[in-house]
Amino acid sequence: MNPSVELLFHYQLVGALLFGIGVVGFLSRRNQIVLFLSVEMMLQGAAVSLVGWGRYHQDWGGQVLILVSITIAACEAAVGLALILMLEHRRGSLDLALWCRLHEDDLPDAAPDPSEEDLAPPEIDWPRLPTAGLLPETPPEDEYRDHV
Amino acid sequence: MSAATILLWVSAVLGAASLALLLAFWKRGATVRAGGIVLGAVGLGLFLGRLGGLHDVMGAFWFYALAVVTVVSAVATITMRKPVYSAIWFGMTLLGVAGLLLFQGAQFLAVATIVVYAGAILVTFLFVLILAQPEGRAAYDRKCNQPFLSAVVGAALVVMLSTGIGGMILDLDLDSGEPETGPSVECLCAGEETAHVARLGTELFTRHLVTVEVAGVMLFIAMVGATAISESGKKRVKIKRETKS
Repeated sequence: MNPSVELLFHYQLVGALLFGIGVVGFLSRRNQIVLFLSVEMMLQGAAVSLVGWGRYHQDWGGQVLILVSITIAACEAAVGLALILMLEHRRGSLDLALWCRLHEDDLPDAAPDPSEEDLAPPEIDWPRLPTAGLLPETPPEDEYRDHV
Repeated sequence: MSAATILLWVSAVLGAASLALLLAFWKRGATVRAGGIVLGAVGLGLFLGRLGGLHDVMGAFWFYALAVVTVVSAVATITMRKPVYSAIWFGMTLLGVAGLLLFQGAQFLAVATIVVYAGAILVTFLFVLILAQPEGRAAYDRKCNQPFLSAVVGAALVVMLSTGIGGMILDLDLDSGEPETGPSVECLCAGEETAHVARLGTELFTRHLVTVEVAGVMLFIAMVGATAISESGKKRVKIKRETKS
């Protein structure tokens, strides 16, 4: 294969991989900030692809487009993070599932609300100490004390 | 179906399975996660191994090192449970992408990626995390939304993109006839690239002047918009509190 074409091919595949991973993160994660990071990752995939094409055609257009995309990412981060902060102020959580009901109150749900599934408190893996040694003997009047 | 196509499909299936394992079974612990990592490594190896080496051996080494760093930290970004770790792994992805850009001779863009993305945008993300994250483990970070379906969608997208663009590039290769030495891998240290930033600047401020202006206007609008959003949001929260009390 022609060396320049070969390098172009490599860059397109890495760009496609980055874009695909970003799509998976965007579709599956529920934390709004991680969602945003996934979008930025898709932009990075596009940037890798663009720089490959720009190099192949010996043209500066690709790099100028990447500069524009960096600008857009900065704008998007500013507006989007302000929105996320406001949403967090209103519901007290970054969960995306809290915002899946956008319809009027008298209409039925199109899908079950996923936020109701995991209202149970998170189980915490406390460290467990192995029991060792003898149980210390306590006098019976020490079993219960209402104050120390 | 050629061998390359079969290899692509196999690597896509492996990658999707690994992502689904990594995303779906957070609670199951280390063995499932290790299985996901192994599957993903095999899939990535097949995917990149399909490419074959570059002409330049050192160039190939650097390219593969950067590509593996980029893709692995991208996977870690979307599979980490804690959003802070996600953000830090995303910083690693950014470093990898900056290296890839540098490898293509885009020095200014590599530095701009590190400065703007890792220096400004990522830090803003961390600030928002500090402001918004209530306590340790949130329920929504422990459960994914349709991990299997989204992994399949992502893998299908990668297959479509790489066969589509790959086919286009292979056509280009056939059209171009005899191999020309054109732009090669040794752009990192080529002598004529010393004036790279000057040439990019000339291009940017002559041919793409309107683009620069539009980008500036867009940044300004975004700044005003972000301020307006946070101000009006504050007002609404205040009104809500007043009506409550």
